Amino acid sequence: MADKSKLGMEFPPYTYVVEKGKIAEFAMCVAQKDSKADVNQIHVDSAAAKKEGYKDIIITPTMSTCFSLWAGGGLGDLLGVLGIDLARLLHGEEEYEYFGEINPGDTMTGKTKVVQMYDKEKKNQPGKFMEFTVLETEIRNQRGELVLKSRTTTVER
Amino acid sequence: MTHHVSYNDIKVGDEMPSYTSQPITRTHIVRYAGCSGDFNPLHHDNTFTNMIGMPRIISHGMLVMGITGEAITQWIPNKYLRKFSVRFAGMTEPVDLDDHENTKARATLTVTGKVTEKYEETGEKRIKCDITVADALGGVKITGSFVAALP
Repeated sequence: MADKSKLGMEFPPYTYVVEKGKIAEFAMCVAQKDSKADVNQIHVDSAAAKKEGYKDIIITPTMSTCFSLWAGGGLGDLLGVLGIDLARLLHGEEEYEYFGEINPGDTMTGKTKVVQMYDKEKKNQPGKFMEFTVLETEIRNQRGELVLKSRTTTVER
Repeated sequence: MTHHVSYNDIKVGDEMPSYTSQPITRTHIVRYAGCSGDFNPLHHDNTFTNMIGMPRIISHGMLVMGITGEAITQWIPNKYLRKFSVRFAGMTEPVDLDDHENTKARATLTVTGKVTEKYEETGEKRIKCDITVADALGGVKITGSFVAALP
């Protein structure tokens, strides 16, 4: 059961250096391809990305969710601190706002904050509640520029 | 890959090109686990799902969102994307390789979308497009939307 006193809590920032190989691997994964040659080359080849108007190879739209997992700790630890029961856990919603490019070699610093905690009565079970926790993460690069914001809503059923 | 989408060419009510995934296999899911670092056994270990009363493993919701992102960026170049948000509405079970014909429908996802707004914001010409992801049996996996700034 989520500990409501944790509303507003900020977690220690994580740092992660974006790797070129990981970007290609992620692109292959979401495109369901077995070869780097078969995905959009803006995720693989610097020259191809520049030709399309990017500074360098760029990440796919949902890859940033994994930065915290690769940086160590990951969502499991965060949720544990919040008292969220992993056996009842569902991923309810995910949202990204994009402000700038994320390229290989960039150092991402992510800061996550608990911005909402609320209950909703279950439709078919009056008196029983689902608990929602909303985590907001701001990701900045090595120049301090805000490049991405994400909001993750978890649900305990 | 060259894209020619422009703000003036898009009307409210236009549909985004629909995108259909390959039937999601356990191998696709394991690849996502390794790739993302999300090793929740719910997504790869049948002995765990049996223990919690589920017949088989399910995909990561984030793999389904990732496939949705692929569908969007095949239409709208990555650099134009400003916002992408989804609600996870249903679980996705993989195809069984020993019963492919009977199980591929639940694992084959189609992403569809419709432009709902055109507006100017922070000096950019933007569109909002609502999206739905459903399997071939009609089971909805994701509802959501994205916002793009177009030339």
